[in-house]
Amino acid sequence: MMGALIATYLTATVEWVEAYTIVLAVALSIGWPRALGAAGSALLLLAVLTTIGSLILTMIHDLTILQFIIGVFLTLFGVRWLGKAIARGAGLKKLHDEDAEFAGLRARADIHEARAAWWIAFNGMLLEGLEVWLIVVALGVQTHHTVAASLAAAVALLVVCVAGILARKPLAKVPENTIKFTVGSGILSFGTYWVLESLGYQWPLGDASLLALFAFYALGGLALIRLYRFKSAASGVV
Amino acid sequence: MQGFIKTLFGDKYTLGVAGVCIFVAVALLHSPAAILAGAVLPVTLLGGAAYLARR
Repeated sequence: MMGALIATYLTATVEWVEAYTIVLAVALSIGWPRALGAAGSALLLLAVLTTIGSLILTMIHDLTILQFIIGVFLTLFGVRWLGKAIARGAGLKKLHDEDAEFAGLRARADIHEARAAWWIAFNGMLLEGLEVWLIVVALGVQTHHTVAASLAAAVALLVVCVAGILARKPLAKVPENTIKFTVGSGILSFGTYWVLESLGYQWPLGDASLLALFAFYALGGLALIRLYRFKSAASGVV
Repeated sequence: MQGFIKTLFGDKYTLGVAGVCIFVAVALLHSPAAILAGAVLPVTLLGGAAYLARR
């Protein structure tokens, strides 16, 4: 359970930091009350989606099917995040830069128009929050701790809000790629474990296999980052 | 709506990677080498992450 809560908290932190950048950029144009109104509306919709998603999943009475569905979603999410983090760690893709993101948003022509800016904040918060929603519902339902997972996401939101109030600028110093790499490895471990277990496979170490999977993905990911960096450097020399 | 679908399922390459890896695992589980599935699925998924990183 602890691993699921940590994964939820870290996922939420990364997504809320990105959402904060969008809300901050909008707030400087249309003011904090409207920008927070847009963000709050998106959060409300996410809360409704979390409730609906949890209800739909708990209506599946066959636990094996439920475990398979959740396992597949987590595998899709984990492999995507791990792939992205490897690419950014190896320099194949640019690191996510909150300052550049903020500057790009401020340069948009429509951000100074009240209605368009409200939608930018609403959409930004909703899209960033959807990944949090997915993790809260998937990990929460499977571990029977949806409320605890929601609270972990809410605590992450609170921490980002406090940091944002103190910094009053984009939270560019948050090590987003390191967090994405760790979360990607963790979520992919949960996905792998549950997919195979739902198909009838018996893990030799039981729940401890999750730690072995995490170590495998994290160490394998680090090795890939080194390999790709080495290849890039070698091709640069030639 | 597009953002919602992409968040849930990822792009076609992510779907392809996960689909192929899980298919291989299912095939292994129905073969005499079923015990290897626990090693093969993580290896193929890490390979998939490596492929997605290069794209």
